[in-house]
Amino acid sequence: MSSRIFPAALLLALGAAAYGCQGNIQGNAPAPSPGATSGRQTPEQALASAACAKPAPGAAPLRRLSNAEYRNTVQDLLADVSGIGPAVALASKDFVDEAESLGFRNNVDFLGVSSLIAQGYMDSAEALAPLVANTDKLVGCTTADAACAKQFVESFGKRAFRRPLLPEEVARYTAVYDKAAAKGFDFKTGVEWIVFAMLQSTEFLYRVELGAAKGTSYVPSQYEIANRLSYLIWQSMPDQALFDAAERGELGDKKQIEAQARRLLKDPKAARLLEYFDQWLDTDRLSAMDRDANVYPGIAANLPELLQNETHAFVSYLLQSPNGSLSELLTAQYSFLNADLAKHYGMTGPTGPAYERVDMPGRSGVLTQGMLLSHDKPTRTSIVRRGLKVRLDLLCEKVPAPPNNVQLNLEGLGDGLTQRERLEKHRTDASCAACHTLMDPIGVVFEGFDAVGRARTMDEGGKAVDTSSTITATRDLDGAVANAAELGQALANSQEVRDCYVLQSFRFFYGRDYTDADQCSMAKLMIAFRDHKQSLAELIVSLTQTDQFLYRPAPEVQ
Amino acid sequence: MKRLNRRTLLRGGGGLALSLPLLEAMLPSASAQAVDTPRRILFEFKANGDQTARRFTATGETTFAFDEFLAPLEPYRSELLILNKLSRRYNLLGDKRSDGHQQGGASLAPWESGEGSYPIGGKEGVTIGYVLGPSADHEIGERVLAVNPTVKYRHLVYRVGQKNNDIWNMHSHAGPVGTQNPVQPETDPYAAYARIFSFGTDDAAAQAEIEKRLLKKQSALDLVLDEAGSLQSKLGSADRARIQQHMDALRDIERTLTGGNGAAGCMPFDLGAKLDPYKDDNHEAIGKLFQKISVLAFACDLTRSINFNWSGNTSNRVYRNLGLEEGHHDISHNSADDAFAKIRSIHKHLWTMSTSLYDALKAVPEAGGTLWDNTLVVHWNELGQGDTHSENDAMVILAGGAANYFKRGRYLDFQNKLTMADMLVSCFHYMGFDDVLKWGDDRLNDGAPLPGLTA
Repeated sequence: MSSRIFPAALLLALGAAAYGCQGNIQGNAPAPSPGATSGRQTPEQALASAACAKPAPGAAPLRRLSNAEYRNTVQDLLADVSGIGPAVALASKDFVDEAESLGFRNNVDFLGVSSLIAQGYMDSAEALAPLVANTDKLVGCTTADAACAKQFVESFGKRAFRRPLLPEEVARYTAVYDKAAAKGFDFKTGVEWIVFAMLQSTEFLYRVELGAAKGTSYVPSQYEIANRLSYLIWQSMPDQALFDAAERGELGDKKQIEAQARRLLKDPKAARLLEYFDQWLDTDRLSAMDRDANVYPGIAANLPELLQNETHAFVSYLLQSPNGSLSELLTAQYSFLNADLAKHYGMTGPTGPAYERVDMPGRSGVLTQGMLLSHDKPTRTSIVRRGLKVRLDLLCEKVPAPPNNVQLNLEGLGDGLTQRERLEKHRTDASCAACHTLMDPIGVVFEGFDAVGRARTMDEGGKAVDTSSTITATRDLDGAVANAAELGQALANSQEVRDCYVLQSFRFFYGRDYTDADQCSMAKLMIAFRDHKQSLAELIVSLTQTDQFLYRPAPEVQ
Repeated sequence: MKRLNRRTLLRGGGGLALSLPLLEAMLPSASAQAVDTPRRILFEFKANGDQTARRFTATGETTFAFDEFLAPLEPYRSELLILNKLSRRYNLLGDKRSDGHQQGGASLAPWESGEGSYPIGGKEGVTIGYVLGPSADHEIGERVLAVNPTVKYRHLVYRVGQKNNDIWNMHSHAGPVGTQNPVQPETDPYAAYARIFSFGTDDAAAQAEIEKRLLKKQSALDLVLDEAGSLQSKLGSADRARIQQHMDALRDIERTLTGGNGAAGCMPFDLGAKLDPYKDDNHEAIGKLFQKISVLAFACDLTRSINFNWSGNTSNRVYRNLGLEEGHHDISHNSADDAFAKIRSIHKHLWTMSTSLYDALKAVPEAGGTLWDNTLVVHWNELGQGDTHSENDAMVILAGGAANYFKRGRYLDFQNKLTMADMLVSCFHYMGFDDVLKWGDDRLNDGAPLPGLTA
């Protein structure tokens, strides 16, 4: 490997790749060749620059809990309620999906609260509050009086707000109890009213951070660090050990934080990290999979679930394995199947419902799992959309929009041709070629797998598939590939793909897009990712060691 | 039985309303038939463009004739005003847009697109975002609330069949100008019904329970608003704005907690056996439930502005009920004759379903006529024709009595000289907001409502 690890427009180009068809739909502007961009600084150079000489966190906007975070938080907050899992699912079933941004549903700019969303919170709180009032362990005292209510406000409130309550806050919530009591309602009703209000509080629904000065910098408080840790790794509230560490002031330095991060990663709740992979890889969209029964007869109705479980089992394995790297994610010639999925793939081995490791030669990690199937069509694979998925979300590039007022006849060319041949004909039109060159040559490589994920040698029309291709217009993986496994290797060896992975992780785990103000944190992540041999789990730990995680920007002067 | 009492109503009741019988108290009285009958507007969206050459077989102002896929409208022709060949002029926005679907899907919010959400289109090196301003349905609703404090909901936004939200399938935006703020639609009609409708009861125990819940809700809202105000004082300006939006949402809920309307037609209806809103087979049934809910929301004067969508734009729904195998969007990118035949069959189906909304509006008596007489339905699409992503040739059909504001039974051809934005200005004027002379980006407007529309 060259010492010039980051040859291209690295840091500042991360927001959007500099390669592509340059927005020129007429097709007369060739994509720049890789490495042609005048050299920007490497991560090491960035870290050594004056800008990174002192802590340089980017923005830390006030975040509303995403739907996934809300559900996890309530689940953990009310864990002592029997049957809480189904109760939470039911209470929040009508929550509207967040507006997607860059493929994720947790971008802080799209977590605003409309009246429909606020109503959802109210309805959910109304369903959940009585469960708390009826769970003695959560109420915590038995005297069923105002003193007990105050004690409940303090103990439950500390967990709901994820920090100790201020005296005026305790007063505010005990006043709700008093109001219910004054109306003649019983103790349980009073507790219910308290919980009903707390679950709608902005202190509960948002991750409020006020921070504090530390020397010439600003840092999150100990409780705020505890929340940053738990929401990053568990997508949920801190546990008692984190609260205790915050209380004792043991989240003050990087080593302590790293140790907590490693503890959290070992906890079963770290399985909630799969939310990131689901959203990045679109395995959360498999449930909308729609296949024509005439083309794909006998497909199990629960295939989407099986496919999502496969990727979950595979990624979980990598997260727990010391060798679980991005490279393995993209190249593994094995997967995790249960009996039903093995049967679907035509494999043998697993005989029960559990997902077991099975060798699958010719496969290439997540590339040949459910990911691409989210982009296929009812009756066939989609070369264009499979290629687009890789181009956009594994290379972090962009493509121009097709022009208006020009015939965009993708489907109607050449009856009797294969999809590949049809697209090749389409690309003889320069105005189409400019952008389809970015997608189609990647997509054809996956033609060895049908629209329900099975290996194949013949396409839907009974014609032999040809998976050989030449990838172009990338930073560092241009060249010939024979099949999906070779493309997987090329992607795994690509610095562009590694940089993209770090960028995607930044976006999801910090809940916003990368900006120039984040270059010190980003440089640190890139170095750490390289030094840990692209370990998926180590990158999670590294995300807790950046300026972005450890500091806050100076408060706005009001 | 007594007439509906404001005190007895509690909205957002999570299904309470469903178990209550139809009450005599809900039936109309003379006093409920207001002198000043409200005007309503409903925007109805169909996706992927149609076949522009096959809309009409004759195009005289009054002698126009519908071609095949618009034929379901023939029985209503005297009640329609057809606006053909409007432009969107999106090419004027340069790189502040993604593709025709995305920007066309923002036809009700004809602003530039922002940055940061999707890596297709937009300017070099930057991803494209949601549009930077409110949609007409939101602004009209905002203005209605400002002058009619009894109206409960600014607007209602419904979409059939698809729960996820992205820059392609969200057609309503809250703004303000300069802000990306898409409005997530409601997609489950059962939840949508339970959220806004609640009908009274004479049962004393049930009444006491309702009043208890109301106290609880009011108590929580008071506390949360007070607490959020305290939080705001500790935050920077951007975060203060986030909390302000939340507080505004809570005040919206507060306004809807109590009060009701005993107008004619404001009566509960049976939603029938519960269907999966996201199961493809239920598309038509779920759409029709949303139509009924829309009609009832108008009848109860809960809102005067509705944004209804048969799908998101770029919809790739497979119309298996029409014998089709490929997705709608895929078919729309095939320029062959047989593909257009399929597009026409989809549109004929969708237009037939549109007429069931007309019939539902006509079935509700109001002020000596029906709801239909005081409602404007605005039919729109994100494209003229799908296979070319045409920014021109938009067709809008205005349907409904609309308080006789428009001169109906006519076909008008604008030859792509005027725009969808100008059409929206006409809608503002119909709703009584004739100070509005442009809607959206200046370049997409001509500074006046479309000429020749009004009676």
